[in-house]
Formats: sequence, C-alpha cells, structure tokens
Amino acid sequence: MPSREELYQARLKRYCTAMHNGKPDMVPLRPFVAEFTAKYAGFTCQEVTQDYRKAFQAVLRCVEDFDWDAVVGNMVYVFAGIPQAMNLSYYAFPGVELPPDVGFQYKEPPEERAFMLPEEYDLLIEDPTGYLFNVWFPRVSRDAVPIGEPVTFRNNLAYLKGGMAMLDYFTAMGKQNEALKEKGVVPAICGILKAPLDILADKLRGYYGLARDLVERPGKVLQACEALMPHLFKVALLSADPEKQLPVTMWMHRSCVPLISMDHFRNIYWPTTKPILEELWKEGHQVLMYAEGNWDAHLETFRELPAGSIIYHVDRGDIFKAHRILGDRFALSGGFPNDLLTFGTAEEVREYCRKIIQGVARDGGYIMDAGAIIQNDASVENVRALTEATREYGQY
Amino acid sequence: MEEKGPRKPGVCVPWEEKVKELPPLSGDPELVRKIWEEVDLFGYIFIWHCLVSF
Repeated sequence: MPSREELYQARLKRYCTAMHNGKPDMVPLRPFVAEFTAKYAGFTCQEVTQDYRKAFQAVLRCVEDFDWDAVVGNMVYVFAGIPQAMNLSYYAFPGVELPPDVGFQYKEPPEERAFMLPEEYDLLIEDPTGYLFNVWFPRVSRDAVPIGEPVTFRNNLAYLKGGMAMLDYFTAMGKQNEALKEKGVVPAICGILKAPLDILADKLRGYYGLARDLVERPGKVLQACEALMPHLFKVALLSADPEKQLPVTMWMHRSCVPLISMDHFRNIYWPTTKPILEELWKEGHQVLMYAEGNWDAHLETFRELPAGSIIYHVDRGDIFKAHRILGDRFALSGGFPNDLLTFGTAEEVREYCRKIIQGVARDGGYIMDAGAIIQNDASVENVRALTEATREYGQY
Repeated sequence: MEEKGPRKPGVCVPWEEKVKELPPLSGDPELVRKIWEEVDLFGYIFIWHCLVSF
C-alpha cells in the first residue's frame, strides 16, 4: 500500500507526463467535477456555492472514494460570497434567484444595457485598468457609484468587502490544494486566462454587442483586444504555478466559427491570443486550452503553437479529429460526452471510455475527462463507471 | 505585446505618480517604492479578477 506522498508523486508524474504528450504508466483521470461533488457528498448546490468550506469538503469526500489523479480544489469556483459582497448584477445563485439545487448562472444583459457602451472603446483602449475601475465596475455592481457622484456607504463596502472576500477565498484555495496533496491528489490547474475577444464578449460588450461591433467597428475591436493582451497575460502569469508543473487554464467561450466568422477569428481572435500563449510558454507555463463548445474549425490554426505548449481540451468537438490533427504536437483531454454521464447506462459509459482510449490514447498524451464540467445531473453510477473503465482500459 | 497607456500591467497608481505626493524621502527610497508597488498590485489583482474570474 503506497503512502499518500508516494501516491501523490505517482499521480503527479502520470499527469505531467501525459500533459507533455508522453506515455505514462496509465491514462490519467482528471475529471472537472463541479456540482457533482455536492450531489455525491450530500450537499445542495446552494451549500457548495455559498459556502466554499462545504465545496472543499465535497471535493475531498469525492477524492477519498474515487481513484482520480487530479481535480480542481473547487470547480464550482464562483464562491457566491464575492459577487454578493460587491452586489454584482450578472449572477443568479442557487437558493437566491434559483432553486437550491440548480447550479449558478451567468446572466448576460440585453445589448442596450451592455456593461460597456459601443462609444467607449477609446476609453478602454487608452487605459484598461482605469476603465475597469472608473466605468465598468460601477456598472456591474449595484452598490458602486460612478465617478463624480456622491460616494455612499454601500459603494465603499462593495470594494472593501469584495477585496477582502477575494483574498479570503484565494488564501483558502491554497490550503485546499495542500489538503488535496495530503490525500495524494494533484491540484489539476493553476492560473486563469481568457482570450481578449472572449472577455470583450463575456463581460464588456456582450455577445450581441460584440457581434455588431465586429461588423461596424472591427478596427476598434482589434485595438481593444491588443490593449487587453498584456493585462490578461499579466493576470495569467501572476496566478500561474510557481513550480511550473500545473497548467494555466484558458476558458474558451464564444470566439469560434460559427459564433464569429473565420475572418474575425484569423484577423482578431488569433493574433491577440497566440502571443499570450507563446509568452506563457516562454515563461515555462503550459496552457490548458479548455475549448468549450466546438472549436474543430480551428484545429489546424492551433498547430501553429509550439509543440508541447498546450493541452487541448475537447468539449463538443470531435476528439478523434482533434487527435488526428493535433496529436503529434499536443496532449488532449476530455471529449467524453456529458450527456452520456447523465442519460447513458454504465455499460454505455464504459464502452465510450474504451473507444476514446483506443482511439486517441494508445501512445499516451491523453487525460480522461468529460467534455464540460461535471454537474449534479451526472449519475454517480456513471461517474464511477468512467473512473473504473479508465483504469481498466487505460493501462500501458 | 505592446504595453501602452498610463498604467502598465500590474499597476494601479504608478510609483512615479505617488512619489510626487511624498515629502523628500529621508530613508531608503527603494524600500518605499518596493512596498508601494507590492501593495498597489493587490488593487490590480482585485479589479482584473473581477473581470476575468468572477
């Protein structure tokens, strides 16, 4: 029986070998288990979203019972205490706006109430950090007041409590990662990145507003992305693993065909994303490109990145196609359909697991995971089947 | 990646701006600058994580 430390070292080696497109002793398992952990541990979505200590407990409970190599310390991630401290307008939380057992939701405002107005591009381009503090934050927070208006008690508290809550959560997350290691489990990721065009859609102009801007003012969109680049790189670098073992994760949202055109991808998205990935690689950090949705139209473009610099995660795309196009340069993860975890039988789960491993993992360079984060719709039986089948079929 | 504008990545209030508000420094100016920049970074982390993470 290996000690927890020996188990941790073996799992770390397995995970890192696969991420560098090598062949470990077996296929690593790195399920991004989110609200599933609540279901398994007997909590509601409200409990793990509003009390990160319960979210941490739920993850630790799962790793005691499932043979997983790496997990995220809290994949429910948005600890509600932070947005609530700032009275942010763009979330709906379980137990507040939503039923207690529904995962939290992001609410994008209608185009006419976007958090950034179309005529504000120059303000953002000139001084991104100043824009966020002076214009954006007072717009997304119901408590913060715009510059020039009388300051209020609630305004002051929005910044103070928001900052303190964030510090508290990040500090606790560090301790949670230590707790995972003590259980022999690798914290799966470290550091966050979003592409400039994605963040422009997600939190500034909204998808519809950005889609209009790409047609009406593409030059400004490009300039805004260029202005955001060094900051998003800085955020990624500041949050990256100092040991340079765990990847920064780039959460990829809506900048793929057909949500934008191929021209916009080639001329705006990629020229303002690729340099960030290359710079992180120069600094010694791999990036997990978590390609939400289907980014198959861009696989050939991703080949331009330095070999080994990324791990490419497949959600709704074709994992077998991704392997054919990218497999000689990068490790892959995911590709297992979430709906099978919810609606399939354990035997169907096992069979699909075998199919993926045979199809893309024969020479290593693959990490088992579902396509998207695993929420409370997934059945425990099927997650167990995924785990056991990966161990059964994934031996080298 | 070109860094433009009045605030470089990692900076909210640049040291060059802050030092003009201070009296002539009697001690080690590098120490004052270093601590100013380290703590100033927290403001930067706060607002950019609001945008990117929360």
